Amino acid sequence: MTYSSSLAMNRTRYSGRNRNSVSFALTKRKIGPISNTIILVVLACLLGLIYLTQVTKTNTYGYQIANLQTKQQQLENQKQNLEVAQAQLQSLNRVQNSSVAKSMVAVTPSATLTQ
Amino acid sequence: MSPKNINLKIGYIKRIRILYGVITLIVAIFVIRLFYVQIIKYSEYKNAALSYQLKQYQIPAIRGLIEAKDGNQIVPIVLNQTLYTLYADPQYTKNLQSIADKISSVIGGSKSFYANQMATPHEEYVILAKKLTQNQSNKILSFKIPGIGTQPNAYRAYPDGSLAAQLLGFVNPSGQGEYGIEQALNKELAGKPGRVKAITDASGVPLPATNGNIETAPVNGSNVVLTINLGMQEQLEQILAKDYKSTKSQGLSAIIMNPSNGQIVAMANYPTYDPANYQNVTNPKLFENAAITDAIEPGSVMKTLTTPAALNLGVIQPNTSFFDPAHWVVDGFNITDIKIDGGPREQNIASILALSLNTGAVWMLMQMGGGQIDQKGMDAWYNYMVNHYRLGQITGIEQGYESAGYVPKPNMSDPSIDLTYANSAFGQGVQLTALQLAAADSSIINGGTYYQPTLVAETISPSGKVTINQPKVLVRNVVSPQVGSDMIPLEENVVQAYLKGGFSFMNFPPQYMVGGKTGTAQVAKPGGGYYTNIFNGTYTGFVGGNKPQYVIDVYNIKPNVPGYAGSYGGQPVFADIAHMLINEGYVAPKTN
Repeated sequence: MTYSSSLAMNRTRYSGRNRNSVSFALTKRKIGPISNTIILVVLACLLGLIYLTQVTKTNTYGYQIANLQTKQQQLENQKQNLEVAQAQLQSLNRVQNSSVAKSMVAVTPSATLTQ
Repeated sequence: MSPKNINLKIGYIKRIRILYGVITLIVAIFVIRLFYVQIIKYSEYKNAALSYQLKQYQIPAIRGLIEAKDGNQIVPIVLNQTLYTLYADPQYTKNLQSIADKISSVIGGSKSFYANQMATPHEEYVILAKKLTQNQSNKILSFKIPGIGTQPNAYRAYPDGSLAAQLLGFVNPSGQGEYGIEQALNKELAGKPGRVKAITDASGVPLPATNGNIETAPVNGSNVVLTINLGMQEQLEQILAKDYKSTKSQGLSAIIMNPSNGQIVAMANYPTYDPANYQNVTNPKLFENAAITDAIEPGSVMKTLTTPAALNLGVIQPNTSFFDPAHWVVDGFNITDIKIDGGPREQNIASILALSLNTGAVWMLMQMGGGQIDQKGMDAWYNYMVNHYRLGQITGIEQGYESAGYVPKPNMSDPSIDLTYANSAFGQGVQLTALQLAAADSSIINGGTYYQPTLVAETISPSGKVTINQPKVLVRNVVSPQVGSDMIPLEENVVQAYLKGGFSFMNFPPQYMVGGKTGTAQVAKPGGGYYTNIFNGTYTGFVGGNKPQYVIDVYNIKPNVPGYAGSYGGQPVFADIAHMLINEGYVAPKTN
């Protein structure tokens, strides 16, 4: 016999009619309709909050994506500008008009000289 | 429990029930309303919401570059560049002079112009400047001036300025290629734009946490590598600019073509324009690549086509002699030579070309028939013009607005058909573009293979896949290889004849083969007949070492020269080009 069961037997022994006694028996608690409703509303709010948090979090990625795309576009524009600048620096007109080209001496093959 | 407590408890329960009923009622109202809005009016509200939230954007594809060979390397000659348009909303701009000062400090320009633009009443968008660089745009935006903004725009950039402008064409503000390569290969260059369809916030940023967002990535355009040699193209354009002035021309076109594969290595016209500022051009004719859009009566250069046709038919031989009566009467019209060549006498095939005998060309046409201009001869000549030399139809080169030219049909019901065909034998009454002539002459010189003229060496897809544009044979056996070989010395003889005649610029070193033929073409009047004092000067020829390496064709429109337009207007241009090709080492000399 355990200690708790021995206590329970003693209490039963001394209890009787019209005697005030304390019952340690567990009673079934009931939650009323209002509590139910409040709990449901709170749960729904919690779910809504979680949903909104997730959606907001996901949507902030949209702004990050938009920012990155803007940066990507700017970098692509810079790349284009550099390519254009490079091509302009290497263009025939520029090379032809360069100081190096101007200091060159034209050589005409003697065999093709017109008379 | 006392009755008082019992009544109090009953009161609490009543109030709680009433409250419960009220809450239930409110919830029920919400549920009914939501049911009405979300179920019954679902479509209506969904569409209304989507109209605000759902945005569709086109993601522009990056247009392909146009590149060309510069020595051993391939360099871009048309690129893309994003430049910015500076705009103002006059409803928001204040302190106009201060704003104008700030703008002018970055991009220069007239302060009063900016101030006046911003003072435009009843406008919400005025353009202050175009083609700002990204740095300039960023500097102006850094001022954070209310009502001032910049907008990116895609432009084509031309690092070599107006080089090959008419061959390249340009791209209009709608992104469509106009003229030249840009028009002909617009589909390949433009690519395919992508698409975004998404729920967005108020500023238009797509919200990822929504269903049904669609994003299709753009397919960028392919790069096109041209067959033209940039150095040669540059020098050709310089020659045309010089000779345009020296011959007092009204338009000068020239083509340098590789006869062994149909590739155009240089092609230019003068005058030309700057494609970066095409909107400033007032005469749209300048946009056209006249070498392929303008078909003219070519004149005596046509004899380089008549002669091989007769040779290939076997009705003449390279050493055939004949008696030239110095004139023919056809349909009551007297056909004579443009030159006075000594009257009736014995002539041969070489002298037909060297002296440019119209009567000799007509005689060759007669030999194609029964010794006179007849149906058989005209049918044979028509067959050569259309089916062998592909005249009267476009070549299919990658250029916009190519002209098909004109070849008359041998319709015997036409009372002047004999005269028309007699004229066609020496290049009148038919119309050819410079390209058609170059392609046809190439097919003869190379031994009988007509290659489709092309400007595209290869295309490079966005993924880097290179597709080489292989030479495309359109006609085989244009003439026999023997006839092709026979024509080379005949045309070399023409060059030598001019050299002996005092045209010193036709002196070429002996280790190179140079041949050709002049053409002095009468110009048709709009109302019929021909001008007596206006001529076009044309020239077709070749330059090479062991074999012809380049075919050169020149069309000089209405040059004002002291002599025959072909000899003094077309021939000097050819000579300049041939000397350039030789002197710059583009031509491999003879090895023996």
